[in-house]
Amino acid sequence: MKRIIVKRLSLLVLVLFGVTLITFVMSHVIPGDPARMMVGQRASEETLQKVREDLGLDQPVWAQYLLYIRGLLSGDLGTSIRTQQPVISDLAAFFPATLELALYAFIIALLIGIPLGVISAVKQNTILDHIGRVFSIGGVSIPVFWSGIVAIIIFYAQLGWLPASGRLSIGLEINRTITGLYTIDSLLTGNWKIFKDSLWHLILPAITLSYVQLATITRQVRASMLEVLNQEYIRTARANGIEEWYLIIFYGLRNALKPTVTVVGLSFGSLLGGAVVTETIFAWPGMGKYVVDSIAFLDFPSIMGFTLIIAIGYVIINLIVDLLYMVLDPQVRE
Amino acid sequence: MEMQVEKPVFEPVSVQRKSLLWYKLQKNPMTLVGILLVTALTVIAIFAPCIAPSDPVKINILDRLEAPSVKHPFGTDEVGRDILTRVIYGARLSLGVGITAVVIAGLIGSSIGAVSGYWGGTVDQIIMRIMDIILSFPTLVLAMTLAATLGPNLINAMLAIAVVKIPVYVRLARSEALSVRERLYVKAAKTFGLPDWYIIIRHIIPNTITPVIIQTTLDLGDVILLVATLGFLGLGAQPPQPEWGTMISTGFKHMIDQWWYPTFPGLAIFLAVVGFNLLGDGLRDILDPKSAR
Repeated sequence: MKRIIVKRLSLLVLVLFGVTLITFVMSHVIPGDPARMMVGQRASEETLQKVREDLGLDQPVWAQYLLYIRGLLSGDLGTSIRTQQPVISDLAAFFPATLELALYAFIIALLIGIPLGVISAVKQNTILDHIGRVFSIGGVSIPVFWSGIVAIIIFYAQLGWLPASGRLSIGLEINRTITGLYTIDSLLTGNWKIFKDSLWHLILPAITLSYVQLATITRQVRASMLEVLNQEYIRTARANGIEEWYLIIFYGLRNALKPTVTVVGLSFGSLLGGAVVTETIFAWPGMGKYVVDSIAFLDFPSIMGFTLIIAIGYVIINLIVDLLYMVLDPQVRE
Repeated sequence: MEMQVEKPVFEPVSVQRKSLLWYKLQKNPMTLVGILLVTALTVIAIFAPCIAPSDPVKINILDRLEAPSVKHPFGTDEVGRDILTRVIYGARLSLGVGITAVVIAGLIGSSIGAVSGYWGGTVDQIIMRIMDIILSFPTLVLAMTLAATLGPNLINAMLAIAVVKIPVYVRLARSEALSVRERLYVKAAKTFGLPDWYIIIRHIIPNTITPVIIQTTLDLGDVILLVATLGFLGLGAQPPQPEWGTMISTGFKHMIDQWWYPTFPGLAIFLAVVGFNLLGDGLRDILDPKSAR
């Protein structure tokens, strides 16, 4: 197991190197003249020259890359053209909102996806199974931005049941931030009004975002449950008179969850991508909305900073998932 | 007494296969739905000018933001263009761009994969690590960043999507190449002193074609979704091009009072993507009985 962990960690270093290389190429090589891009078309030749020197663009490419890496290591992702703030502090400010949204979406996806997959598998080829399959095909086929819009039209515009934008109602403000997650902070400080309001605002965006991942989880759980339930030890256990529900959960699901763990890790990619779109639709002040606003301004330092952080986060999530897999599967551990 | 002529017990193989395919399709009605949707989409895309009731870009400011009616079944947009017409023409863009992106990714990816698997060694290691790195970005985020870097337009969005899809084909073709290069005919070809490039083109690539084609069908739904998402984010087609995602991005501003504006283009994306996903799933089930559950 130690050897695998060491191997995974060395791969992580390689991947991080590659990821920075790609963002470097995208920010320094492809655009042709990043300095011109930063200062805009109307800037004078002098300013342009100064910016070039500041950015080290007068140096050879490999030296530029070293400069870029040195900056990254000290937390320097450049300055946003749009907000005029360091990109790292912008992202740090928007990160908790994204984390809170993604966390709730993930919990919803697990809570609904796993039982749905189990039911679908146990009741294979019945009407329940068909409904479950249509539901999960929908999740990978419906564009997130559209399901969000439809949800707003129905639950906000027509019925008026749920709020459709932001993290809190206008006029409300959270006075103390500890974690930056409003639902947790308000609980910690005992502020029920804020807690209820922030949870209220989370419902639509979190459900919209969860649908993407939920579909993947349901499909995987169903497939691996079907495989596991056809194994001989299940038949033996059943012949021994073990109760069906106990059999399904402790003999079936426990083993079916192993392949699901890997898929869940990979599906974080679509969750993170989906967050960008969901935040835009629901005016959710997170990193996703920040980057979409930056795209409209062609604010490259912010776009690259966001991409880098997301890629690193995604790699780390999958590393954790792999380790979790080892804990779950003794065969890999040996 | 007349001898009864026995009918042959076995029908010709081709007929048997055909009825087996038909049997499998009947067992899996969702695949049929997929075939229907994809066929409809293709027909609509090809015959768009004949089917569409009006002009997709002609502005008619007097009819702006009209609710669905007999004259405009899907309503009209902010400059009075018929949304139904634009949705119909949108099929052309989505399908055209989607297929092109997948074909580019398939061609480049499977060539790289074939070479990588055939040669092995350091070249293979380097190529596969590069693919690992591309795969370590969430698909949408990488496509988004690439499209933004190249400059927001439909062609660049297509290229960006092709790039993020390449690793899938590299891995697929590589695993095929790995097994093909051990075959006797490849070894024989080597013994004859045939050059590597000839063996790759003559033996390796033809053997990787079938799985690659299946994969392109599986990917089309996903790619159409990506095209629309980039369009929605302002990184794909630019107005007034009748692209579904771009239409939703404008319709988004009108969603509270004109619900039909973002709703119908979204429905079109959904049906197109669902069609390809059902077809892809069905194909996989039929061609690979092990996964058919």
